[in-house]
Amino acid sequence: MAPIVVIRDLIKEYSGRRALDGVSLEINEGEIFGLIGPNGAGKTTALRVLSTIIKPTSGYAEVCGKDIVKEGSAVRKLISYLPEEAGAYPNLSGYEYLRFMASFYYGNGGEIKAALAEGERISGLGDRMRDKTSTYSKGMRRRLLLARTLMVRPRLAILDEPTSGLDVTHAFHLRNVIKSYSKEHDTTVLLSSHNMLEVEYLCDRVAFINEGRIVEVGSPSGLRARHEAANLEEAFVKVVRVA
Amino acid sequence: MPKGLRLLIAKEVKDLLRDPKILIGLILFPALLLPLMGAAINVSTWSTIEKASGNLTAYIIDDDGGSVVEDLQRYASENWINLTVTSGNPADVVKTLEGGGTIVYVPAGFSQNVTSNTVGSLILYTNFKEFSIVEFIKAQRVSDLISAFEDAVVKNKVEGSMPGSDPNSVLNPISVEHESVIKGTAQPISPTLLQSVVRLQGLMGPLVIMIVLILAMQVAATSMAVEKEAKTLETLLTIPVSRLSILFGKLVGSVAIALLATIANVLAFTYYIGALTSQMSTGAAGSDLISLGLVPSVQGYLVLGLTLFGALISALALALTLGTLSQDVRGAQSIIGIIIVPVFLPTIFLMMGDISTLPAAIQLVLYLIPFTYPVLASQALITGNYGPILLGLVYMAVFTFATLYIAARVFSTEKVMTARLAFRRKGRREV
Ligand SMILES: Nc1ncnc2c1ncn2[C@@H]1O[C@H](COP(=O)(O)OP(=O)(O)O)[C@@H](O)[C@H]1O
Ligand SMILES: [Mg+2]
Repeated sequence: MAPIVVIRDLIKEYSGRRALDGVSLEINEGEIFGLIGPNGAGKTTALRVLSTIIKPTSGYAEVCGKDIVKEGSAVRKLISYLPEEAGAYPNLSGYEYLRFMASFYYGNGGEIKAALAEGERISGLGDRMRDKTSTYSKGMRRRLLLARTLMVRPRLAILDEPTSGLDVTHAFHLRNVIKSYSKEHDTTVLLSSHNMLEVEYLCDRVAFINEGRIVEVGSPSGLRARHEAANLEEAFVKVVRVA
Repeated sequence: MPKGLRLLIAKEVKDLLRDPKILIGLILFPALLLPLMGAAINVSTWSTIEKASGNLTAYIIDDDGGSVVEDLQRYASENWINLTVTSGNPADVVKTLEGGGTIVYVPAGFSQNVTSNTVGSLILYTNFKEFSIVEFIKAQRVSDLISAFEDAVVKNKVEGSMPGSDPNSVLNPISVEHESVIKGTAQPISPTLLQSVVRLQGLMGPLVIMIVLILAMQVAATSMAVEKEAKTLETLLTIPVSRLSILFGKLVGSVAIALLATIANVLAFTYYIGALTSQMSTGAAGSDLISLGLVPSVQGYLVLGLTLFGALISALALALTLGTLSQDVRGAQSIIGIIIVPVFLPTIFLMMGDISTLPAAIQLVLYLIPFTYPVLASQALITGNYGPILLGLVYMAVFTFATLYIAARVFSTEKVMTARLAFRRKGRREV
């Protein structure tokens, strides 16, 4: 089966400085793929290029065979993206926010209702869905936004640091939602993280990214074994030191 | 209309209307504040007038003792002013009076002079303490009383020397009526009155235009900044909706809110002006442009509509483009603070007069500012002077398309996300 995401020699420069320096990757349908690396490694840049927000300086990438540069609007129908720093419209309720977002994806009221019901379930926010999002805590807002990302049944969900900066309970909830949703709907998930332990729990395969380059790809257990490391954190440090 | 655009406009209007910054700052505040000010002015003027208009006591120091002084005292009491006789040096006595208190000083020989057809002099001493309106009204009432008494003396003399004649026609032998021909029709109105009516109307148009433009720019820049501050823009850029729809959603949403805010402002402003002018009876009451035959033409409204539309769209495109540079609402407000200057300059310069009377350099600057043309068009509704405006229409069309094009460029590239003003040092950034 052809990979759902193909990335070849992707380069992104910001005023001459390379944030991505020749990234190549393939992601298979149905897997949870983790992009891990320290702050400034280029994770957000890579996910933004794939989400059609920014254009690559050179290189090629496709989602389900659609070129992210030439067929941007087709790609946007297939993906759903959760930015690293995202918010909801402060004056809308959580429910109104989900309904607004769902309306872009579906033509009829029945489909929108179904997506909304799914979103409410995923968020687990209950009655608080009727309150303005400006009254939400950071964790609640993140849950709403993850629900927004997944309720539209994307072929590819792109999640930039989905649990970063959240307390244990909210992070735990989000991780479980991501894992069970992906298994239930066979949805491909590409997520980034600098939390190696989280990735170890969530991901089927991971790529290490450092200074804009992919330095290693494999399954968490395979990478541990290859580098004789107790966990991914140790494996990452060993890889980066060698590279 | 594409569905995405419709959804975005609906969201924009809903979100903006619920935003306290917009709702309170742009709509409720002016809608309540101006009428309140108007009402306050009303209340304070009326209470002042009541205070000053009752029975008034003034004083008289009579060094003459003649018959004319007796007539004056009788005349005063018929007109609700009690002239109480006192004595002493008037310049000293007046200091002991309350604020607005007045002494009529009658020097010796006054009655003699008046009856023998030479001029008799009086001196009015008034004590001012607070310079309040009440003090001035009191002083004025005594002064008016003397003038009215003088008229009565004159009429008396005319009757005495020309028995059987009407003193009014003797004193005003020539009467003038005005027929001002306005657009081919004669109207019974004096040039002075006509001028004040036209001025008032010529003032309102530019003011309203300025209010609409500034409000719309504020709304647009704020909505863009809210999108950045609340970090909702990045998500919006990845959902299945075109970037142009996002731009036009903001444009149309801002126009809708700005129109609402304008209606609130104009109603409030009209009420306020009404409260003000009801205190100053100009004599122009009832004379509006329509009844004077100054009916603006359909083409005039068309030109006004076109220039206003162009100005609104280009102002919004500018505000949205600049709004992408700011990271938060405060930043956006300060940017707007700068770009509203070209919006109110034309209004300030043209409110009081005609562009052709301004110095050439200022004229040139005004003609280069696209926001001048709707102001000129609003004045042309009355003056019919469309010369410079028709050329301006072409210029405005070019300007509008240019600003829209720039906004569309900014929105369709990643600049909408990454652009920012270099407030911070380069190279430093938190990710
Ligand atoms: N808009 C931008 N302009 C200039 N440089 C940027 C911009 N965004 C990111 N960078 C730089 O690109 C590099 C990669 O950043 P990023 O992709 O955000 O890293 P990560 O998400 O892995 O922390 C960093 O050095 C960052 O400073
Ligand atoms: Mg990042």
